[in-house]
Amino acid sequence: MAGTTAPGGVDASASVEPPPAGGHLPSVATSRLMRSTRDSALRTPGLHWNDVEEHAHGPSPVVGQRQTQKMNMYQAIRDALSIALTKDDSAIVFGEDVSFGGVFRTSMGLAEEFGRERVFNTPLTEQGIVGFAIGTAAMGQTAIAEIQFSDYIFPAFDQIVNEAAKFRYRSGGQYNVGGLTIRSPTMAVGHGGLYHSQSPEGYFLGAAGMKIVVPRSPIQAKGLLLASIRDPNPVLFLEPKILYRSAVEQVPIDDYTLPLSSAETVFRGSDLTILTYGTPLFSVETALALLANPPESIAHAIPASVRGASIEVLDLRTLLPWDMSAIEESVRRTRRCVVVHEAGRIGGLGADMAAEIQERCFLRLEAPVRRVTGWDTPVPLQYEKFYIPDALRILDAVVETLTF
Amino acid sequence: MASLRAIARRGGRRALTAIPAPPAFVPLQARRLHDQVNHGTLPHTGLPLTPKLEFFNSVASGPIPTFRVLDGEGRVLEGAEEPEIDRELARRLYENMNLLPALDNLLYNVQRQGKISFYMTSYGEEASIIGSAAALDNADEVLGQYREMGVLLWRGYTLDSVMAQCLGNQEDIATKGRQMPVHFGSPTHHFMTISSPLATQIPQAAGVGYALRRMRKPQIAVCYFGEGAASEGDFHAGLLLASTVPSPTLYFARNNGFAISTPAAEQYHGDGIASRGPGYGIDTIRVDGNDVLAVYVAVKEARRRCLEQGRAVLVEAMTYRVGHHSTSDDSFAYRSRAEVEDRKKIDNPHIRLRLYLQSKGWWTAEEEEELKSRLKKEVLTAFKRAEKLKRFPLETMFGDIYAGEEPWNIKEQKEELARLLKKYGNTWEPWKNELQKFENNGKEFTEKS
Ligand SMILES: Cc1ncc(C[n+]2csc(CCOP(=O)(O)OP(=O)(O)O)c2C)c(N)n1
Ligand SMILES: [Mg+2]
Repeated sequence: MAGTTAPGGVDASASVEPPPAGGHLPSVATSRLMRSTRDSALRTPGLHWNDVEEHAHGPSPVVGQRQTQKMNMYQAIRDALSIALTKDDSAIVFGEDVSFGGVFRTSMGLAEEFGRERVFNTPLTEQGIVGFAIGTAAMGQTAIAEIQFSDYIFPAFDQIVNEAAKFRYRSGGQYNVGGLTIRSPTMAVGHGGLYHSQSPEGYFLGAAGMKIVVPRSPIQAKGLLLASIRDPNPVLFLEPKILYRSAVEQVPIDDYTLPLSSAETVFRGSDLTILTYGTPLFSVETALALLANPPESIAHAIPASVRGASIEVLDLRTLLPWDMSAIEESVRRTRRCVVVHEAGRIGGLGADMAAEIQERCFLRLEAPVRRVTGWDTPVPLQYEKFYIPDALRILDAVVETLTF
Repeated sequence: MASLRAIARRGGRRALTAIPAPPAFVPLQARRLHDQVNHGTLPHTGLPLTPKLEFFNSVASGPIPTFRVLDGEGRVLEGAEEPEIDRELARRLYENMNLLPALDNLLYNVQRQGKISFYMTSYGEEASIIGSAAALDNADEVLGQYREMGVLLWRGYTLDSVMAQCLGNQEDIATKGRQMPVHFGSPTHHFMTISSPLATQIPQAAGVGYALRRMRKPQIAVCYFGEGAASEGDFHAGLLLASTVPSPTLYFARNNGFAISTPAAEQYHGDGIASRGPGYGIDTIRVDGNDVLAVYVAVKEARRRCLEQGRAVLVEAMTYRVGHHSTSDDSFAYRSRAEVEDRKKIDNPHIRLRLYLQSKGWWTAEEEEELKSRLKKEVLTAFKRAEKLKRFPLETMFGDIYAGEEPWNIKEQKEELARLLKKYGNTWEPWKNELQKFENNGKEFTEKS
């Protein structure tokens, strides 16, 4: 996908019919962002095989011999955890309800496979879970902690922001918790309301010393999670929960990583850059199909002049520290930028993006950097369809920015 | 406590006699672990000294016993005092204990049909909830976790209100459709709005109790929580405050054996939740949560002490979560069907109370029939009515964020939504259809000038 067809050339026939009120939901299964063949999976940009030294005495498998398997996102995450546990004796996986497989099935069978000493339930205490994880990581071990929902991460806020993030700095580099990874399901499912649909990443943007990663698909989740686990810094790994089942790809079965702090250009274009991460990528894809080929019902609002626009889409993947050079390079080229996230507008990542972009690209910009975000309200259950930035809101922002 | 005293003085003598004054500060008194020769005390503390190297890990000998009144067959346990419960109260307890599963059956099923987004049943815990609710003053301020709908029902919360909240329709004054089902709240019923983050209500309840005392009310704060939630830091913070500051707060732990999939055995190493009470120096009791009479008696006494001492009291009700955790859970992934069936048969709170009622001549088979079919009908009628109602107007999404003047960003975002809905809301099917679900069909936006 990367750098292949411009979205204007997308075969939009599947998307021109209005999707159900969920908007972005049905497009995940059919998304062009999903690598559904072995071939395309193995050509995932930035993919780094980690098993080369295991084949030190013989030839390491050439790409032609690599295998893939159809997995959804929770299976790909489970696969990454299994590899981490297999290759690193010090690795442990724990959290609330982890033993029986986790409420999203991401640790299914791991307790049976690796034993209860390494994969276990904790009592119900997020601050305890993260504090415990910090302790094991401070001893040089690999701690993979699960917080059941990112909405429930706040009891651990102190441990994460004041402790994990600052561990290295405050000890003059003598101590660190690089072995710490905190995984947590995030973003909306369409009917979660205040406490099952939040995107809390904005609260953590000031936690210098910690990284924040959000995958968009099974292949991405596996590679980015393994990279996060092995990164010498604590990482908050936020998994868009609506994608656990709906996102399906052919996932390479071997041990591989994808680079952190590296955005991926998922669609190449020249007229406008969309910056986003996680679930909204699929709404963006739908929006671009609608832009190229607007159905009757909205055609009146989409001028013919913008329908052929070529839109670039960056999946930020790592939110902290983000890939500034990729963003700057892209926006300098396209001169227009729209940032999309589910989190509210004030205190969201879009604010930082817009500020950095206008400082760096001021004279290049043809339009103000536009943000399409959740409103600055709590996430309201019965109103979620009009809270979450859907394809149409993204489309409208793109049109307005193109015609500014 | 000086400030409370001062307030009491200012409040005058009448207030002082109406409500017991907060207890005087009692210096820490160590328990004598063993009778032994007196070796004096540790200077400045009053703590007795001992030459024996001895560790301890309980404050009673053996496990904390469970208070019970009715045995498995609904007979008053030998040595138990039969509580003073008359025919009317006993029948009311039983009816409410039946109303809960009647609602649960319907709402669980309609969730399966996709008509509501979520639901949590009280199956198995009816005696704990109804028995405790009955022992409280209806104006005691309740802070629940989420499985305490029965307290509201006991206090007269209507079936229409239950349906409104679970469906999130325009009569849902509890959350105006903003929160998930079972997140009830009603100032009239002295029941603060449920919030999904666990255990947050536990320290809040300490503050509520303190405020009630300062307001010189003859009521207490009552805080419900699961044995799982009791693992949160907020549990420890809350009990510490309510015991130390102190505050008249009754903590009611529903120990139903599970926190989603995690069995109580993996939740704590100590003797349940009750063993923690003495650590905070508060009166504590463990009660058979499937024995509605025992729960009633224990909570009545707990409430009396709470009000009298002005300090927290802890009740741990031992029960069993017969249902799945919620509609998002399939508990047979971590416990056997047979275990659940077994528990339902061997220790059924409904059967125990029914047998007791029958032995008193307070209940007949015909009344049983009549009650079950009446409740089923009432619940269904309420649902059918509620199902036809629309949601609150769409603009409700932006309401109640702040009191007072609406900030600029909310104003602008409402205008942004209005612009979008005017542009696409009449033609784009997904939005058009969604708008129909709201009272006023979104016209406050689409027809805004
Ligand atoms: C802070 C927080 N962490 C995790 C959760 C997810 N969660 C919801 S209910 C639950 C289990 C609670 O068990 P318990 O307190 O025993 O209550 P029960 O469901 O048994 O009534 C969990 C882990 C949450 N809601 N809040
Ligand atoms: Mg429980």
